Amino acid sequence: MTKIFYMIRKEFLQIFRTREMVAILFIMPVIQMVVLGFAVTNEVKHITLIIADRDNSRLSREIVAAFSNTDRFDITGRETDVREIGLDIHRWKAQAALIIPNHFGRDFRRGLRPDIQMIVDGLDGNAAGVSVGYAGGILREWAEAQARQTPRLAMVKQNTPQLELIERLWYNLDLRSAQYMVPGIIVVLLTIISMLLSALSLVKEREVGTLEQLMVTPLSRFELLMGKLAPFLILAFIEFFVVLGAAQVIFPITMKGSYALLSLEAFLYLFTTIGLGVMISTIAKSQQQALFLSWFFMLFLLMMSGLFIPIANMPQFLQDLTLLNPMRYFMAIIRDVFQKGSGWQYLFTDTWRMTLLGTLIFAVSVLRFRKRVS
Amino acid sequence: MHHLIVDNVAKTYGETRALKGVSLAVEKGELFGLIGPDGAGKTTLLRSICTLLVPDSGSITVAGLDISRDVPAIRAILGYMPQRFSLYQDLSVAQNLRFFADLFQVPKHERPERLARLYHFSRLEPFKSRLAGNLSGGMKQKLALSCALIHTPEILVLDEPTFGVDPVSRQEFWEILHQIRAGGTTIVVSTAYMDEADQCDRIALFFEGEIAAMGSPAAVKGAFPYRVYRLSGTALQDLKTFLEGQPEVRGIQLFGDALHVSFSEKPSPETWREWARRGGFPGLRWEEISPSIEDVFLAHMAGETA
Repeated sequence: MTKIFYMIRKEFLQIFRTREMVAILFIMPVIQMVVLGFAVTNEVKHITLIIADRDNSRLSREIVAAFSNTDRFDITGRETDVREIGLDIHRWKAQAALIIPNHFGRDFRRGLRPDIQMIVDGLDGNAAGVSVGYAGGILREWAEAQARQTPRLAMVKQNTPQLELIERLWYNLDLRSAQYMVPGIIVVLLTIISMLLSALSLVKEREVGTLEQLMVTPLSRFELLMGKLAPFLILAFIEFFVVLGAAQVIFPITMKGSYALLSLEAFLYLFTTIGLGVMISTIAKSQQQALFLSWFFMLFLLMMSGLFIPIANMPQFLQDLTLLNPMRYFMAIIRDVFQKGSGWQYLFTDTWRMTLLGTLIFAVSVLRFRKRVS
Repeated sequence: MHHLIVDNVAKTYGETRALKGVSLAVEKGELFGLIGPDGAGKTTLLRSICTLLVPDSGSITVAGLDISRDVPAIRAILGYMPQRFSLYQDLSVAQNLRFFADLFQVPKHERPERLARLYHFSRLEPFKSRLAGNLSGGMKQKLALSCALIHTPEILVLDEPTFGVDPVSRQEFWEILHQIRAGGTTIVVSTAYMDEADQCDRIALFFEGEIAAMGSPAAVKGAFPYRVYRLSGTALQDLKTFLEGQPEVRGIQLFGDALHVSFSEKPSPETWREWARRGGFPGLRWEEISPSIEDVFLAHMAGETA
């Protein structure tokens, strides 16, 4: 067993031989997290809006004011010609247009319930849907305020459905994107470091020929692999806490769950990613190939993990496929622990599935990693 | 007592028969050379001896231990230096040595003495803290040898250790090997440089996965049945064509600016003059030479002795 220790010491000597490596390991991930944490956001804000106020009454001006008083919308122009509005949207000058028809104010006061039209650029379906929602909310609020001020209108309002939706947002009251996205980014960074570095380090031994030299030593396959992989497990773990700590300092986010539980889950997850690293090293013949393969894997892990695209939105077949993606489980686990402060009993299913998958990946990879030369 | 016994070992890679039933035995304390061109099967045999490969058939025993069953025991008494430089280029000379001493669990109290000995013959002590990647080719080979020797193995296996090393370093390397052998270590070394054969106690000429000849360098050369002459002059190509038509000629090899010609019997001075006249080679000079390993090898390759 002491031989493992010597392997680990050698590995650390090699890793920290260059200052660049220390930067790659600890500074770069923090920078990446900061940049991505601000960049990767699904909040829809500052939607560029054209106002076509054909009525120009007191009421219509009030509506326009309501739209200009929120940071959800930026009014970029006023235009009454529908054709011009179409061209502006086509030229990316605006994402949406609000058209208030002639005699809107008069008709509204008479209780005729006039229509307001909203045209939205639907290319980004998500943003389009969200902006329509915002607009609806603003108009509803405005209409209710009107009703309170003018009891006569409240009488008319009786035709409206006697059902009111009262929203309560749990866990992330302010709908802050960072609260949801930053833990996800931490998972991505953790995966890259553990999978890529362990794969590269193993392939390098093979490529340079040192593996052949190691194989004639009394080192067993188990000791060889443990000695090679333990340093990356340790490094990834340290990095996990560095990034986790930095995230809470830099972003207005809060960790609600138990650090001990999260550490245990992270350990189980790293087991699978390092297993993937070994797997890659048994396929790749050179460091270049290993790098390419890692990115190939990485893209699938990432896109099928629910980081950007909720898994529930995927076709059923692909949803089933994500059960084979270890990142999917840890992504769910870290968000649960981070946001909801979930205890282990809520994470049980994800945890055992992730652990089973990790054990399988690790076992297959280690068996593939023969101690003899091919 | 035989320290290494290779018995009828065969190994096939897909369509390629790397070893076609090779047998040899190496005495304890012997310096044994596998001589042959690239692709002759030397590396395959050496890797099998080191337990890195399992032959398809045949058996190999190292110090009485079977390579397929006693893997850990063999690895503990065997030192191996692969063909390519395979140490950590990003570790220093001292760190590489220490790492292999650790892996082979060399006791701490024995280390200073062993390192002193290894530094003495390799003369690497002044470069202790230099990164292995920044050493010259000759120094790299000496470091690799030192690492293979750190656990004082009983048998040392070297795969083309002098490949790509300058002539001075090659000579120095062989002198080190002689010192190691003098200490009682069995050495099996492969080389594609024919002139290195004379450095070995015994050699096996490897060709296409088979042993073409085996014995001491003198015996291998002595067993060569023909007389070898070195011919020099002008128009060597024409001379070669001319001689190929003569019945006594068994083989002709071009060696730089001369021909090495083997004859089934020694030609008389009259015959030489006759050839010079008939062929029109006025400046022809000839002298009998003792056959070199290269002559023997090339003759085997051309199938002349078969």
